[in-house]
Amino acid sequence: MLSYTLRRLAFAVPTVLIISLIVFLMLDMAPGDPTGSLPLTIPLEVREQIRQSLGLGEPVFVRYFKWLQMTVITEPLHILAGLTGWDIAPGGPRILSWQTRSPVGDILVQRVPQTLWVVGLGYLFGILIALPIGVISAYRQYSWFDQVGTFVSMVGFSVPTFFTGIVFILLFSVTLGWFPSMYDTTHVVRDWNSFLFQAKQIAMPVAVLALYNASQISRFMRASMLDNLNQDYVRTARSKGMGEQTVVLVHVLRNSMIPVVTVIAIGIPTVFTGAIITEQIFRVNGLGDALIRAIYVSDWPMVQTITFIFAILIVLFNLIADVLYGILDPRIRYD
Amino acid sequence: MTKPRRKLVEVRNLKMYFPIHAGVLRRHVGDVKAVDDVSFDIFEGETLGIVGESGCGKSTCGRAVLRLYDITDGSIKIDGVEIGSKSQSALRKLRPTMQMVFQDPQASLNPRMTVAGIIGEPMDEHTDWSKARKLERIYELMDAVGLNRNFVNRYPHSFSGGQRQRIGIARALALNPKFIICDEPIAALDVSIQAQVVNLLEELQDRLGLTYMFISHDLSMVRHIADRVAVMYLGKFIELAPRDALYAEPLHPYTQALLSAVPDPDPASEERVERIILKGDVPSPANPPQGCNFCNRCPKVMDICREIDPEFRELESGHFVACHLYNDAGQTGASRHEHTQQGEDA
Amino acid sequence: MTTRTVLLGTAAALVLAPASAMAERERGSSGHLNIIYWQAVSTMNPYLSGGTKEMNAASVVLEPLARFDNLGELTPWLVDEIPTLENGGVAEDLKSITWKLTEGLLWSDGTPVTSADVVFSYEYCTHPEGGCSYRDRYAGIEQVEAVDDLTVTVHFEDVTPNPYLPFVGAGSVIIQRAQFQDCLGARAPECTDANFAPIGTGPYVVSNFRPNDVIEFVANENYRVPTQPYFETVTWAGGGDAMGAARAVFQTGEMDYAWNLQLAPEVIEQMEAGGRGELLVDFGPLMERIELNFTDPSPDLPDGERGTREHPHPILSDIRVREALSRAIDRELLTEIGFGPMGMATCNFIVAPPAMASPNNDNCLVQDIDRANELLDEAGWERGADGIRVKDGQRLELLFQTSTNAVRQDFQALIQADWREIGVDTRLRNIDAGVFFGSDPGSNDTYLKFFADAQMYASLFEGTDPTPHLEQRRCGREPQPSTQWQGQNINRYCNPEYDELWAELNREADPDRRQELVIALNDMFVQDYAHLPLVARGRVSAASTTVGGIVMNVWDSEHWNQAEWYRIEE
Repeated sequence: MLSYTLRRLAFAVPTVLIISLIVFLMLDMAPGDPTGSLPLTIPLEVREQIRQSLGLGEPVFVRYFKWLQMTVITEPLHILAGLTGWDIAPGGPRILSWQTRSPVGDILVQRVPQTLWVVGLGYLFGILIALPIGVISAYRQYSWFDQVGTFVSMVGFSVPTFFTGIVFILLFSVTLGWFPSMYDTTHVVRDWNSFLFQAKQIAMPVAVLALYNASQISRFMRASMLDNLNQDYVRTARSKGMGEQTVVLVHVLRNSMIPVVTVIAIGIPTVFTGAIITEQIFRVNGLGDALIRAIYVSDWPMVQTITFIFAILIVLFNLIADVLYGILDPRIRYD
Repeated sequence: MTKPRRKLVEVRNLKMYFPIHAGVLRRHVGDVKAVDDVSFDIFEGETLGIVGESGCGKSTCGRAVLRLYDITDGSIKIDGVEIGSKSQSALRKLRPTMQMVFQDPQASLNPRMTVAGIIGEPMDEHTDWSKARKLERIYELMDAVGLNRNFVNRYPHSFSGGQRQRIGIARALALNPKFIICDEPIAALDVSIQAQVVNLLEELQDRLGLTYMFISHDLSMVRHIADRVAVMYLGKFIELAPRDALYAEPLHPYTQALLSAVPDPDPASEERVERIILKGDVPSPANPPQGCNFCNRCPKVMDICREIDPEFRELESGHFVACHLYNDAGQTGASRHEHTQQGEDA
Repeated sequence: MTTRTVLLGTAAALVLAPASAMAERERGSSGHLNIIYWQAVSTMNPYLSGGTKEMNAASVVLEPLARFDNLGELTPWLVDEIPTLENGGVAEDLKSITWKLTEGLLWSDGTPVTSADVVFSYEYCTHPEGGCSYRDRYAGIEQVEAVDDLTVTVHFEDVTPNPYLPFVGAGSVIIQRAQFQDCLGARAPECTDANFAPIGTGPYVVSNFRPNDVIEFVANENYRVPTQPYFETVTWAGGGDAMGAARAVFQTGEMDYAWNLQLAPEVIEQMEAGGRGELLVDFGPLMERIELNFTDPSPDLPDGERGTREHPHPILSDIRVREALSRAIDRELLTEIGFGPMGMATCNFIVAPPAMASPNNDNCLVQDIDRANELLDEAGWERGADGIRVKDGQRLELLFQTSTNAVRQDFQALIQADWREIGVDTRLRNIDAGVFFGSDPGSNDTYLKFFADAQMYASLFEGTDPTPHLEQRRCGREPQPSTQWQGQNINRYCNPEYDELWAELNREADPDRRQELVIALNDMFVQDYAHLPLVARGRVSAASTTVGGIVMNVWDSEHWNQAEWYRIEE
């Protein structure tokens, strides 16, 4: 298993490098101009100077290697230095966002906590809701619980988050006034009241995402449970005289979790990518929000870096999912 | 079969119907009559073979007898205890005495449990043995079925088919059952392995005094292992007889057809028995023909067959058949089947 | 309806700021203010951004020597008076201007503001490697001289009748030399701390800046007006969308001020009914227009000649066709549908300030299909079988492009229908705004290359002086291969009379005469139908009814008088 993991990791490196090159070149060739979003009152000569100051004068491969070096070495070291206080930050240029003219790494460090809290909790709650629903739906297939669950998850799955988000805001913020419609990223949890406020402001975006994620995962859970419920080993377990709880929760659930866990693991990168819209609606300034805004204003260094991070996450979590599969399912052996 | 024998299993009018739901509202529109009004006994220490084509309901019958299903109707008595109407939770206590060896050793073993876990789980549930005691028993069982003790912590997938079936048998034996249903235990195995497993089963029967209900579509294997043989067709027993009687002189046209299809190891006899080729397909158990279930395929079908379902009656001592062909003869034997079943019954 | 809303902003300011109430307020007495910018602020250094949002945010920290008030009048800010010819601040030869800083001004860190800071601000923005967005404000300057600690003289290379560009308005602010002296040129972006929390003279100090997210301000202890600012702290949130920002002010009341609410008129109306906030609209020089191409954009022409004045446009070179296209458009309808109270139909190139707006062109406000048809008939375009006009075998067919934007696509469709009525077949095209407004000479889809017959966008000018804006339409200022397709004479207009008149304007110092010349240039340009003005667009923001002192200003930052905003007590 270890050698398999190492081998996969080794293969991941060229994969990620190729992705980085593609990401870089695609954005580089994309039409759109970082000065295109500036007001028309700024004269063209000035625009040209701005472009030069952004480093766009150099050949593309020089810029690629500079960017790669900074993404892979400089920025992570700066981030690590910032987090730990160690004196390991190298000198030299860093990747500068064109909009803010500040290092991309610093912005990411500010953005990641919001994304992890809001979108991560949305995912976590989604899973926590989805698993029991999936299990019960499958165990009581075609019962009213299953029918309601199917309906709700179909709705949750097919209604886009930007719609549910607006509905939630109109209902709970505008009409009822229970929750704030805007997320305050500067809020610091100090005591019970501020915690309560944090819980309130995080409630709606988390609920919207949880509903969406839950409807997806509960479907997986249900299908996987159904697959296993009819397996012979379940009958074996019953014939052994095991209690129904043991049969369902130990035998069926543990086997059904194998594909679900990998689906969940593969879905984790979408925690970062998939919530762009929700982040925007609730004004949660997370990674997705940073990405979409960078795209709007053609801030390529930011877009390239975030996209690259997403690519790494996707490659990494695919690997994790495969390894998890191997750990969870004794039938799978990687050599 | 001279010593007096005790009935270990008594099945009366067992019915196992699976409801069919259809339409938007999933209304109940009919039933699949997988097991339809079956009665038989199994004596302590004997092996009752059940044969029939796939889909005839023999596996369902086995599972129903162990109450792996909630049966539709009928009574099942095992070792004197009526289990036909018991709740599943009440049944759990009785599970150790009756066990099953399943057809597919791959699918019937939980892939995420080790051999120790699979064999030991019933002990966790039904005994308060210490860990060491349990392990001792696991080793004992592994020895008994011919598995290397060193493999105790392996997962099922790392064993061959035959070895997996040995695990399945060891698991079934874990709590000293009296009655084991072997549901096609060798069907999924290589021919070379089949004999080993069957021999193991026989050996264990001799050693532990087990009672088997051996379900198989392999007539030769049943002939080898069974003391008595029942033939099922479309959810019903159509013939039940001591092994030798059945193989020597099958009464039901369906049994005759089945047996004629068995390849005979003696090439000289090949010409002697003319193969009876049955026409048509087995009807759906959801919609069996009127009258005798076999009437649409029977080479000796009579008018009455299409109207009246023949009774399952004892024609000779211990030889039961459900066929109108023997109804005349049956008149004479009518007095005989006043007995429930075999005459030796004490 | 339009005048009502225009007046609202100014009227509200007058009513809500009675002098007696002011006296009772003191610094910090109004507590906390929440501002939402749905497009978040990227940096606090306007020189490095150029975006309006950054300029606005920076304006509460960094200030110019003088700025424009809500009426477009120059107002002294860090100086005691505006230098003029009369008071001797502007040299007789119009080649220099001398500013005198107010005495005792302090930076927020407590150090004095000196003329060296002013000179440094000039050096910072004009550094050749700096990429300063407001570089043009400092164009044509020979030298900026610190005469003494509080006196600065700007020497121009040429006669400069309007010397109020450098250090005037929210775009050309004074930054602290001590803080930025190591950040010149290419090193400008490296000074992240300084760019995110500049030391300023304004009413607020940055206490926390998160790029593209949120800014927190606290009152500047060293602010020159001891009783101001009234709000102790300000949270300047960013992100979300215009709808969410409007909702937060109008419906939930979470926010006190929301900027730039470009929403459908009916949405705004519905939101306003929430009653918690009011809409602030004021009209500046921003105007939505159609440019008609004077050159042939045909792809059959060789590269380097396509879209240049070597090849006049085969159809649009005829003024009768251009006038017909203008008359066929229903501007009032477009305004109503696209902008509601946030727009005003117009026929002028220079729509503001009011004194500069020509009164002579209102005839185009009413759609006149008959006149348009007449004009085309006169021009020799005959209706073909399908209703489309034909002349010499050529169909009257135009390619009409704009950026991708819901309102613009509505406009395109309406105008297409209007033109269809007079027998003009219009093909529509929309291009992503980032591409359309980009200036990449390699792209054929920019508004600069204008490889189409007509295109629609909005443009404006900075400050109150339209001279540079009018200058853009001079002959030779058009985008062309020799200038890497840079230039703002988008429609390739070329009229020697216009150029002469502009030269006169550029020499003229008398304000009244300048006004006349601006109107004359405007009339010449629009009566040539070189360009079809459509709608003057207002700046739209929203403020909570609990905040007073807000005075909408389209000539400067909306937050120009942020120090005077206060909470209205219940």
